[in-house]
Amino acid sequence: MGTTEDKSIFSSYVKKDGLFDEVFDKNGDVKSVYQKLLDLYGSRTIDDYVNLNNKAKSSFFNQGITFQVYGDKQSQEKIFPFDLFPRIISTDEWEIIEQGAIQRNIALNHFLWDVYHDKKIVKDKVVPIELLSSSPNYLHQMMGIDPPNKIYNHISGTDIIKHSDGNYYVLEDNIRCPSGVSYVICNRTALKRALFGVFNHYKTHSVTNYAENLLHLLETAKPPGVDMPVTVVITPGMFNSAYYEHSYLAKAMGVELVEGRDLFVENDFVYMKTTQGPVRVDVVYRRIDDLFLDPMEFSPDSALGVPGIFAAYRKGNVTLANAPGTGVADDKAIYTYMPEIIKYYLDEEPILKNVHTYHCSRPKELQYVLDNIKDLVIKPVDEAGGYGISIGNRLTKEEIERVKSEVKANPRKYVAQPIMSLSVHPTYIDQKESFEQRHVDLRTFTVLGKDEQFVLKGGLTRVALKEGNLIVNSSQGGGSKDTWVLKQ
Amino acid sequence: MLYEYEIDYDTRNSYEMGLNEAFWQFLVIPEENDTQELTYWHFENDLDEKNSVSENGLGFKTVQVRSKKELDHIKFNAHFKLTKKEINPFDFDLPLNIEEERKLVDSLDFRVDHEPYLRKTRFTQLLEEHKSIYTFDQKKSIFENLTELNHWAYGHLYFKTGVTDVNTSLDEIIENRHGVCQDFTHLFCAIAKHHGVPARYVSGYLHQGHGFFGDSQMHAWAEAFVPNVGWIGFDPTNNVLANYNHIKVCHGKDYTDCAPLKGVVYTLGKNETEYTVQVKASQQQ
Repeated sequence: MGTTEDKSIFSSYVKKDGLFDEVFDKNGDVKSVYQKLLDLYGSRTIDDYVNLNNKAKSSFFNQGITFQVYGDKQSQEKIFPFDLFPRIISTDEWEIIEQGAIQRNIALNHFLWDVYHDKKIVKDKVVPIELLSSSPNYLHQMMGIDPPNKIYNHISGTDIIKHSDGNYYVLEDNIRCPSGVSYVICNRTALKRALFGVFNHYKTHSVTNYAENLLHLLETAKPPGVDMPVTVVITPGMFNSAYYEHSYLAKAMGVELVEGRDLFVENDFVYMKTTQGPVRVDVVYRRIDDLFLDPMEFSPDSALGVPGIFAAYRKGNVTLANAPGTGVADDKAIYTYMPEIIKYYLDEEPILKNVHTYHCSRPKELQYVLDNIKDLVIKPVDEAGGYGISIGNRLTKEEIERVKSEVKANPRKYVAQPIMSLSVHPTYIDQKESFEQRHVDLRTFTVLGKDEQFVLKGGLTRVALKEGNLIVNSSQGGGSKDTWVLKQ
Repeated sequence: MLYEYEIDYDTRNSYEMGLNEAFWQFLVIPEENDTQELTYWHFENDLDEKNSVSENGLGFKTVQVRSKKELDHIKFNAHFKLTKKEINPFDFDLPLNIEEERKLVDSLDFRVDHEPYLRKTRFTQLLEEHKSIYTFDQKKSIFENLTELNHWAYGHLYFKTGVTDVNTSLDEIIENRHGVCQDFTHLFCAIAKHHGVPARYVSGYLHQGHGFFGDSQMHAWAEAFVPNVGWIGFDPTNNVLANYNHIKVCHGKDYTDCAPLKGVVYTLGKNETEYTVQVKASQQQ
């Protein structure tokens, strides 16, 4: 009892069969990219780790790095759960992810241009018109509008998983207001502070320059005739789940964080109210959904937006990033056409795979879904943040019947996918003070600018903290890990 | 023949609790098109604030007024002079082949090109049980079907003010069979769309004096797309085709796109809005 070996940090780590472990291979041996890390941790006990983790946690709390969960009785801010054991991605694997994400988001941008102009992809019968016309995010107001540099999805969040077959799959495209990037940076900062000795043994790409690069690319989309653009971040306000991120990004970019009421429109120009008088605003990184952006054009009861801002945008006097109307392409029903969309516009094979998806709107597929609901994940097409997802093999009989009747009543609203076995990663579990396998995904961030683009070399590894759980969204009680992308 | 019109749009909005910041947008300027030419316009508000002309999301001119003063009301007046050309709405050839016409309307290219005005909206979506309320005669041309639909809608609803408002749903209107011009128009559009014919809501002014419904307020009618002809105006409230007495301001998918006044006011308490419209034919040439 009580020997030091028993107390090593992976002493009680159980490797379950059939799961793809990011750190250990099938034989239980440490994969090469993690070897150095385990060597360094090897001399430490789990108690050392517990101490260190607690310190990092209190530092998060002190910095106010929090998020909010909707639907809680008492909506409250939580610390974003985080552990100090990083995920490491090798140079070769990263290349696939990077090229795949860029390919996908450039194809999505072509798709958006097309559906708001000639609609060739629909006329060529690749994507059915009904998918567009039934989407509330397909904005009539954007028809024929040319966004600056022809870019719609300036910032895209592509959610990628590694399946037990060892391949990467894209789970979701988020091209409205994807969030999470601030946690990537905070995770890195916290990890470097707590473990600078370990970090320095690896050659890891920096993530902390994200805000600077983002600002640079946003500014490439400035309206014509503007030399030194004034950029702002607009937030729905402090009750939004991503408010911390909005304020972080504004601060890191060195620009103002504003709410709708801080801006006004006059003669189709947008101004910010300041103590020195109105200041013209040229680029708005908006973290407000389309339908709340401008009560004159969209949801009339919204007090979050700026009346008249769409008219200013239409005239080219202000740039909105992302462009209004991107939501039509991050509909989960459009997702299922991504392989075809990539081939159609780029004449390339998709680098990252799609998870096979059944459209409940097609009668044959609907029948399959109803018959095999136990083996499927049912997702609403238009919700983000993991809300409304049902996982077939976790449902009780009554729940299955309820989901079935809901899908039957509203088939266009749902798609279904096989239950994917996300890879697992050793994750520090607070309550147990030990490491256990937990499912992870990776949210990557792709930024498109004028003739240049980048994928943040890192990304947010999201962890489903409940044992066996597959939903990793932070709003569903997920945690996160610092993600290291290695240099050659 | 040319007609000259003078139009006055007057509105007064009052706010019980007062307010100190507001933004109003008026969608009341007549459109310039083949039959309409705007020769004079003037805007006035009693707040001493600027009236700025802008465009809405579908490209129609608007007037915006913004105020940061403490106030409890706004009065706004728009005055227009306009010449309107009389056209013969029947001046086109009906298609020789009715089957070909139907085929065209059902083709994918046509449905894609006209998607915005085939899209069902909150006010133009028929309930399942209402879908057979009016059927198109496949042996007749689309134009004939639309003319008959215009006549049918005119007969199906009874013009009555005060029983419906801007939030009344289409199924209530179909069930209760009462309504005003916007209800007639939504009904017409819903049925045309249901039969694959693009239809849009038109907001504008109606010159009265000919026994038409639609007095002292803004009027609404529909435009439907007839293949090889284009958009034709149907006024189901009056069972006529739109002509020289219909002065168009804008169109949209339904009333929501065409509301003459939209405002954002930061206030509690009630607000009241009233407006009047006057259309005078000043001269006929």
